[in-house]
Amino acid sequence: MDIITLAEVTGSISILGYGLAALGPALGLGIVVGKTVESMARQPEIANKLQTAMFIGLALIEVLGLLGFVAIFIA
Amino acid sequence: MFQGVGSDMLTLAASQPELPGIDDFMPPEILFQGTPFAMNRIILVRFIAMVVILLVLGITAARAKLIPSRWQGAIEWLLDFVRDSVVYEVMGELRGRQYVPMVTTVFLTVMVFNLCGIVPGLNIAATATITMPLVFALWTLFQYLITGIREQGLWKYLKQELFPAGVPWPLYIILTPIQLLELLIIKPASLTIRLFANMIAGHLLVAICLAFTQFYIIEASNHFLAIAGIGWFGLGFALTAFEMFVAALQAYIFAVLTTVYINQSYPEED
Amino acid sequence: MESIAADGGIDLFIPKTYDIFWSLVILIILAVFFGKYFMPKFQAIFDERAAKIQGGMEKAKKAQEAANQAKKSYEDQLNQARVEASKIRDDARAEASHIVADARTRAQSEADQITANAQRSIESQQQQALVSLQSEVGTLAAALAGKILGTQLKDDSVQASMIDSIIADAGQQDAGKPKA
Repeated sequence: MDIITLAEVTGSISILGYGLAALGPALGLGIVVGKTVESMARQPEIANKLQTAMFIGLALIEVLGLLGFVAIFIA
Repeated sequence: MFQGVGSDMLTLAASQPELPGIDDFMPPEILFQGTPFAMNRIILVRFIAMVVILLVLGITAARAKLIPSRWQGAIEWLLDFVRDSVVYEVMGELRGRQYVPMVTTVFLTVMVFNLCGIVPGLNIAATATITMPLVFALWTLFQYLITGIREQGLWKYLKQELFPAGVPWPLYIILTPIQLLELLIIKPASLTIRLFANMIAGHLLVAICLAFTQFYIIEASNHFLAIAGIGWFGLGFALTAFEMFVAALQAYIFAVLTTVYINQSYPEED
Repeated sequence: MESIAADGGIDLFIPKTYDIFWSLVILIILAVFFGKYFMPKFQAIFDERAAKIQGGMEKAKKAQEAANQAKKSYEDQLNQARVEASKIRDDARAEASHIVADARTRAQSEADQITANAQRSIESQQQQALVSLQSEVGTLAAALAGKILGTQLKDDSVQASMIDSIIADAGQQDAGKPKA
């Protein structure tokens, strides 16, 4: 039953969990912002509307990342 | 977590930096301990912020003139911003007019409360316990429920929200509970958690940077580490500026989402 | 990480009673402040400003209209004056030509009258000359005839009637001559 520990990682696995949780929202945010900038470049005259829509989407995605952050405290 | 990080990194240092923890967000009660009216540090910060809002905006409003001074112009710019870029942009002028005062209250209050996090002496956002964001979110919840019931009647409103048109009926078995959850819990909870978690994260980041600065420059026995301390200070400076941006952005997002949720309570145009 | 969770990380997300109480107090105070004082005050100022700007624009419009009207009436007056002046000039010209024509006609008529007078006086003189000539020629002719006949006509009445008939004959023969 002797297990020789060759390498050890200390710290919390929750950090890894948060890293994973941040991954999806990060990709989502990148796509949202990128697409918005692209659309604004195509039609600068509705830039304000696009920006509002972008912030709404951005807020909805952001909450996913923050749920990971909250999970660190709870779990 | 942070203590673990600190002890791993600071093998050279004699002692450990005073790293911030979640206790910052649960400070001890300092007034009326044990009663339902107990006050702690964050509530005091909140009161200070409230008094500042009342005084500054009250005096501005009392002295308001037809031809605005520079300060009044700035305040009016903010009001115009909330009215035009948040409310009218999302709802249109006809629907939005009656919600302008509410959204303005939410926006200005949340912004000032958030900004408390970087004011020296206060050093913690007044929205940094879950209750304040929760109260705002509940206000939004009641507002959009009332609006929905007033505009469509209870039955039609619930039908629109819980049984979206154009979905094959077996899907309602899955969809309806999700919609109910979304309507009553997810919307206010996401508003709350977004604001609250942003404030916690911001406070922790800034406080960690400044704690390391303090530790490396002043307390560390090895004076070469002062260079690292300067690096930490630069980071803390940048994050403080970023917090300012986040404070305004979160207030804006809170206001926009409040408006969007209220707007969703109106009957969908065909 | 266990440390944070063990520290009561979940407590962060459980609102405390006193926290809820004070948060509600603050929210209600702020909501009342904004809803009852701050927003109405600024709304009033915005409305007043809008009204004033609109009023100013209307006033400017009115002033513009008044100016336009004044300009129009001025131009009208100018036109009228011009028309009147030309009319007066025309009148004057017409009157002048009238006066000239009048004068001309008067002169003409006067000249005619003078001519006619002259004609008449000439005629009357001619008549007079004719009458005096008649009487003279009568006596002369009687004398001449007496001389020629060598006898004195005894009866004067016969003599006179005879002379008259002779002169009438002569007069009738002469009548066309002065007119030609």
